[in-house]
Amino acid sequence: MLEKMIIGRFIPGTSIVHRMDPRSKLLFVFLFVVAVFLANNVVSYAILLGFTAFAIALARIRPYFLINGLKPVIFLIIFTLLLHIFFTREGPVIFEWKFIKIYEEGLRMGIFISIRFLVLVLITTVLTLTTSPISITDGLETLLNPFKKLKLPVHELALMMSISLRFIPTLMDETDKILKAQLARGSDLSTGSIKERVQAVIPLLVPLFVSAFKRAEDLAIAMEVRGYRGGEGRTRFRQLSWHMRDTAVLITFVLLVGVLLWVRK
Amino acid sequence: MNNKKLRKLILVAILGSISTVLMQFNFPIPAMPGFLKIDFSEIPAVMAIMTMGPVAGIGVEILKNVMHWFLSGSPTGVPVGEVANFVTGVLFIMPIYWIFTKYRSAKGLASGLIAGTVAMAIGMSVLNYLVFLPMYTYFLGMPAVTGDSLYQMIILGILPFNLIKGVMLLAITLMLYRSMEKWILQQQKKLSF
Repeated sequence: MLEKMIIGRFIPGTSIVHRMDPRSKLLFVFLFVVAVFLANNVVSYAILLGFTAFAIALARIRPYFLINGLKPVIFLIIFTLLLHIFFTREGPVIFEWKFIKIYEEGLRMGIFISIRFLVLVLITTVLTLTTSPISITDGLETLLNPFKKLKLPVHELALMMSISLRFIPTLMDETDKILKAQLARGSDLSTGSIKERVQAVIPLLVPLFVSAFKRAEDLAIAMEVRGYRGGEGRTRFRQLSWHMRDTAVLITFVLLVGVLLWVRK
Repeated sequence: MNNKKLRKLILVAILGSISTVLMQFNFPIPAMPGFLKIDFSEIPAVMAIMTMGPVAGIGVEILKNVMHWFLSGSPTGVPVGEVANFVTGVLFIMPIYWIFTKYRSAKGLASGLIAGTVAMAIGMSVLNYLVFLPMYTYFLGMPAVTGDSLYQMIILGILPFNLIKGVMLLAITLMLYRSMEKWILQQQKKLSF
């Protein structure tokens, strides 16, 4: 059952979106999520959809991966669409059949909200498909740097995030191993009543915790030995570099917001 | 940098990834709305509280939710669910810390867990009423649930769900503590200044 979980959805590539600086991509996605809420009529939603399609085309992502990313939310999108179609009662009736009445406003709102959803999910999917988790972490660290003045331990948080990311696959393997070992002894975590599951989880947790504490000790010693002394004056293995294309992304965003403000009602 | 501080930092990170892994094994409770899912990801945070104190516990909660957001994305783009999960976790672990530091025993832990369950159930009911459910419906663009139906949803959904979750976590943590008491004490001594 662990094979089903994909850790991180990053797919390496060489498109312009792949090569962009994680900082500009992150900034763009955060701002875009806010800007989506500006749209409120047909033209503005069409612009959002067109822009998202453009981003996907630039990233040269195979549709298969996008659809995979949409899978968990497609149900939610359809659900909101139907909810709006059947329960928003405003405007003239456009369709009537026995007890089903569809109002114009309901259809309009349903489609708009579904597009909003679709656009948000697609843009964040493009980000996670084209940026590896480790460079997202690097990008976040530099973006959050100004908050150091407010005593926010930015470096420590980023360090913890990278260690966490590094250990997730290892721990997955380990969990899988322990689960199989337990399975061989006849205990199964994924089936059974709630009580059985609760009891099955103890023999899984004990070895996980013991090894976590041991690993932490080993890693701490290894880092000490190599002279780790916090974020001050540390040089980096992965350097971030800001190019013209990153500035272009931000300019595009400003233009997009300008157009949205202009066409919205 | 102090060796113990670094070790704690790393430990919080690794416990955070255990939490993230455990979060994947979530399952809904029969006869409850689908977005209410039970998982065991609070347990590493309780472990962090018992061995390293409150900041570590909160750190595990933050990491778990950030990782979860990174790795599986959020349907609304805005991580409402992750924020809700973080608040739930903090509400659950803080009472454990307050009681467990005073009474370091199975009994102290049990009363801490009960207090945590109550705090989580009541706190989340109030917060869902005031913040999270309205936020959800706003981002989904649904007609807002208000008045009686919201009240009912909380009394019949959120409150019993959090109580069930709390009782399950209580049972697991107590069993875990019983089998690892000495080891936990030993680690706690090793990590304290």
